[in-house]
Amino acid sequence: MSRWLLLFLVALLSGCAGMSKVGPGEVTVRDSLSVTPDDAWNQFSIGLTRKSEVWTLDGLPLDRLVFYVGIADGEALADLPQRKDRQVPKYRTTMQAHEIVEMYEVFATHDGSSFQRQKLAPAAFAGGEGFRFEFSRVRKSDELEMRGVGYAAVRGGKLYLLIFEAPRSHYYARHIGRFEALVQSARIRG
Amino acid sequence: MQRRHFITGCACCGLLARASTLLAASQGPLPARLQQPEPGSDEGGLWSLLTREEERLKRSRFLLRDPALNAYVSGLACRLGGEHCPDIRVYLVRSPFFNASMAPNGMLQVWTGLLLRMDNEAQLAAVLGHEIGHYVCRHSLEQLRDAKSRTALGQFLGMALGAAGVGAAGSLAQLALLAGMFAYSREHEREADRIGQELVADAGYPPIEAAKVWQQLVAELKAEAEWSGDAGSRSIFFASHPDPEERSQAMASRAATMNGDTGDAATAAYARQIHGHRRQWFEDELRRRKTGETIALFERLLRQSDDGETRFFLGEAYRLRAADGDGARALGEYAAAESRSACPPEMFRSRGMLQRQAGDTAAASASFRHYLSLRPAAEDAEMIRSYLHEGL
Repeated sequence: MSRWLLLFLVALLSGCAGMSKVGPGEVTVRDSLSVTPDDAWNQFSIGLTRKSEVWTLDGLPLDRLVFYVGIADGEALADLPQRKDRQVPKYRTTMQAHEIVEMYEVFATHDGSSFQRQKLAPAAFAGGEGFRFEFSRVRKSDELEMRGVGYAAVRGGKLYLLIFEAPRSHYYARHIGRFEALVQSARIRG
Repeated sequence: MQRRHFITGCACCGLLARASTLLAASQGPLPARLQQPEPGSDEGGLWSLLTREEERLKRSRFLLRDPALNAYVSGLACRLGGEHCPDIRVYLVRSPFFNASMAPNGMLQVWTGLLLRMDNEAQLAAVLGHEIGHYVCRHSLEQLRDAKSRTALGQFLGMALGAAGVGAAGSLAQLALLAGMFAYSREHEREADRIGQELVADAGYPPIEAAKVWQQLVAELKAEAEWSGDAGSRSIFFASHPDPEERSQAMASRAATMNGDTGDAATAAYARQIHGHRRQWFEDELRRRKTGETIALFERLLRQSDDGETRFFLGEAYRLRAADGDGARALGEYAAAESRSACPPEMFRSRGMLQRQAGDTAAASASFRHYLSLRPAAEDAEMIRSYLHEGL
């Protein structure tokens, strides 16, 4: 009995909360986006959904890269627990850059965090036109001041959005260059 | 006569029933100041936990630190609390939900979502008075002593910690915890309502405003249930609260036996105090995406003060909801905002986005140019220029 319990615990600790190493070199994200990081990242298995992945370098409280890939018209970026369908914002192909950021804000503040969008400007992304935005956020759970950057592009009516976020002190500056380089390598796969 | 009524009403608090001499000795409608409990007692243990939590709260980045607004709300709590004033410490917490709570050690939290929803000073006084009612009657201590087992006690302290802590906000699960904070019985809630209303009337405000606080909340919740089918906030909020309609009716009938709607609700004074903060609170409210509640709230605020800022944010609620006909509704509100005072420059940006989506390129171009002329150094100016450059 206790052996089963031990096995269960091992499975729980190693599997469910597991990290798998990704990169360096070309990595395909959810079959529809490729990136070529120079370094190894850690892919967080709990962050995997049909259309998103979560990566980190130093561990999730310290830095976080979220991919939302191929979000189609009428789809949400993620589930919002205990919310009715009409309360969850959905991507629409008619959305402009501002509205895509407004949609993201809802998910970034759902836990009670604050959010302030800063610079928003056109930028090359995924082999074509896109936009880049910066934001700051006070994370509710530990009240850390976070800084973030997002890149987005719409291809074939589908949204591709990458978000990198880390505490303002130290970790943001330490990893932002790696994120920017990874973004430059991003390509949408046929 | 009214005081007599209050005293008999409050006598159901266990402590006061046993300590009627305290009441007799006190001045005004509230009992004498509470003594800090012995450190070794159950209440003393709770106090030391809460003191630690309060230290955390004091450092929280979610505290609103504007000295003027803090002085205003603290001053109001102080006037209502009378001789309890030195024991009451007010903390304004940035969170877009309707909530206020007072811990048994005198730590009184008021959330910005509640401040945004108050029509006037009298309504805020009713909420603060209600919380002071829980405090002076030591309702949370009664709950503590009602805990029949150690598990229940542990749960109670856990909830007290969680709810008093800065981590408790935002998600509905955490809200549920908060609603159960000191899990006041319905009888305690009714008693706190009565005390709050007494304090409001004694301070010269119209006591009917206490009933309106709940009427307004009910209207918002109904609007949300009609829009999204979300009755969740109802069940969470009312898990420990009496039915707000019943509560509101009880307070309306009581107001009729007091001085009803006579008195100064201090509407303009309240509006002046929150003026500089409203925009941030409107933005926080929009991010909740409880658009049924938000639209009901903004429409009510418009009836209070029909200004360009409120019209703009009502338009924003429609634009973000983006249901059938919402684009036209938003454009209607933006037009109204433009012709009123205090219209934010961002109205032209939002209008431009809707016009661009509708294919009205000339109008969109004019709106975006207008926005850039008002905010040439805006952080999104480059993006707006790219909209223009694309020829729309």
